[in-house]
Amino acid sequence: MDVAVKLIFDVLAFSSIMVLVVLGLAVIASMMGIFNLGHGEFVLLGAYTVYIFREMGLPEWTGMLAAPFLVAIAGLVIEIAFIRRLYASPVIAMLATFAIGLIIRELIRVLIGGQYYAIDEPVPGSVSLLGVDVSAWRAIIIFLTGALMVACFLFLTRTSFGLQIRGALENPGLARASGVSTTRLYAFTFAFGAALAGLAGALMVPLFSLSADLGVRFLVQAFLSVMLGGVGTFEGPILGSAVIGAMVPGFQWLREIPLFGIMVGDLIQPIVAEVLVFIVALVIVKFRPDGFITKGRI
Amino acid sequence: MANKHSNGGGGISRRSLLRGAGALTAAGWVAGFSGGWILRPSRAFGAAPIKFGVATDITGAIAPSGNSNWQVIQLAAKKINDAGGIGGRPIELYLEDTASDPKVAVGNVLKLIQQHKVDVVVGGITSAMREAIKNPIVRRGKTLYLYPQLYEGQECTEHLYCTGPTPAQQCDELIPYLMNTLGKKRFAMPSANYRWPQLLNKYARALIEKNGGEVVFEEYYPLDQLEYSATVAKIKSEGVDCVFNTVIPPGLQAFTKQLYESGFQKDGGAHTCVYFDENSVNYVPERELEGVFTCLDYFHTVDDPVGAQLQKEYAEMFPGTKYLFTAGSAATGAYRAVKFYEAAVKKTGGDLSREAVSAAIDDVAITDVPGGDSRMVPGTGHCALNMYVAQAKGGSYEILSSANMVAPQECG
Repeated sequence: MDVAVKLIFDVLAFSSIMVLVVLGLAVIASMMGIFNLGHGEFVLLGAYTVYIFREMGLPEWTGMLAAPFLVAIAGLVIEIAFIRRLYASPVIAMLATFAIGLIIRELIRVLIGGQYYAIDEPVPGSVSLLGVDVSAWRAIIIFLTGALMVACFLFLTRTSFGLQIRGALENPGLARASGVSTTRLYAFTFAFGAALAGLAGALMVPLFSLSADLGVRFLVQAFLSVMLGGVGTFEGPILGSAVIGAMVPGFQWLREIPLFGIMVGDLIQPIVAEVLVFIVALVIVKFRPDGFITKGRI
Repeated sequence: MANKHSNGGGGISRRSLLRGAGALTAAGWVAGFSGGWILRPSRAFGAAPIKFGVATDITGAIAPSGNSNWQVIQLAAKKINDAGGIGGRPIELYLEDTASDPKVAVGNVLKLIQQHKVDVVVGGITSAMREAIKNPIVRRGKTLYLYPQLYEGQECTEHLYCTGPTPAQQCDELIPYLMNTLGKKRFAMPSANYRWPQLLNKYARALIEKNGGEVVFEEYYPLDQLEYSATVAKIKSEGVDCVFNTVIPPGLQAFTKQLYESGFQKDGGAHTCVYFDENSVNYVPERELEGVFTCLDYFHTVDDPVGAQLQKEYAEMFPGTKYLFTAGSAATGAYRAVKFYEAAVKKTGGDLSREAVSAAIDDVAITDVPGGDSRMVPGTGHCALNMYVAQAKGGSYEILSSANMVAPQECG
């Protein structure tokens, strides 16, 4: 029982982080048809914001609160300055995002002197959940992710701005003909995606540590999640990231469970478990090239 | 040869890249064209300088250790130069950043050898780094190499001298203490997947089993693994009472946090990590370090007037630095390396050729070093050290037991 609670909690916690990272990436990919290769650096910018606030002597939570807004502004500036000129050629746009990402990453590497910094969580220690000690901060991340999912869903389905976004997603030409400014909408979407990435970075940095390569660590897994879930839907990438997020701790856990009388752990070393995530994801993509969810767009 | 950098240069330059490191605050820096840094003695000497190469991790995951090594070497060189150099010849320091990345390191280390033609190289912290740079230094570069960090043993390369503790020096005191004094019997060995943990665990496991204990599991993770929940859960569910941790940064932060949050230490479990020291707060928050057991050749709390005086001078030279003069970060090993080299060159009468210095250093003793006297054990390339078992208490380390002149038991 204890083990089950712990397992579910840890899988949920890591999935939540993945969902936060992937959601911003998926929103941009679905809307504009661009895979933002600089997405990992938006995550990094969010984490860096927390570090800057801490260096200014402010508590960590203020940085976490500010991160999505500051990263959104950065995203908006980048969209207006570069990305918007490149929508006609998505491949060039992707390369541009890669270049921007590289610049941000190396700039931050310079600013933090190439070092790694530990950042404290605003709520340290553990809480008791069904008699099991679990990390308080991870519990908060799970809760915030859930709340954010609901908020995003309501925003997209219940507001007129959400309707415009869905319209532009479905048929940009018709949306423009109906008087919806897709230019403005794209800029907003890009900033929104950046904000989600910034929030993800700010929330997860206490779990790991701040370094210039923080975002890159998640980028490949995030892409797999979007491929796995399918582009163009809201739930697809969330499902995809939840699956990828569950596999990372999941395979480590699988090692602890006896299967047909043998310990899986004897067969799968931790180092193999990391690679296995990619193999399984690629096999799924092979058989479902369009992802889990191809219909039922919101 | 180069442009002189004043303090507080603007813009994005190598200077500001290293500003976070705080290592170059000392005045008198000259930047070479190829990168890297040279620190010249502060006053004029009649004789040609001894070129002392330093290759350490100024940036990257283990930069807090590399920077403390570098600062400590500056202190050692300054003290020697202030006292008139070695036989009238000053030490001139040449720094190359190994960037916590063996791929980057080899090229930079070759610069020390080929471009600056240094007489000796001190540096490397992880064993992966030592393995990467020892051939460029010792074989291709035909230069003397001094390795300062505690490590896994079995490094018997000619002209390579280890000035940090070996598994025998660290474990022979610590493990019997954990088992016989604290009564710990069930060990877990979560480890980073490379040479040091593998060989250290082998040594520790033999000792644990000899003392009637059990190793519940021994596992190796990718160095940057972020998720340890299953490992921590197994530690709890298997009733492990002592975690013998050899995970290193960047994976270390996630592991210690998850172990701490599981309540392992709170419930009486012993967390042991033989490279933890006063400098470790640069890696892990203090609350997660509380109660950790370790065994090293020096702690700030050791009753040692020489160490206390050196700490005072270090604080004066680098006021407010966060990179501390400690043992687990290889800084005491780096200080000993400079002193061993000084003693050896004094013995050769100023002959700096590798063969002469190597023959001399093989059997020298040094006194004014932190943690107590040390001497090279002839024919082994390792040194005998005083070792201290200690426990973290509120940011400092309480000495629990000690042993004098522990033999390295390597290469004999």
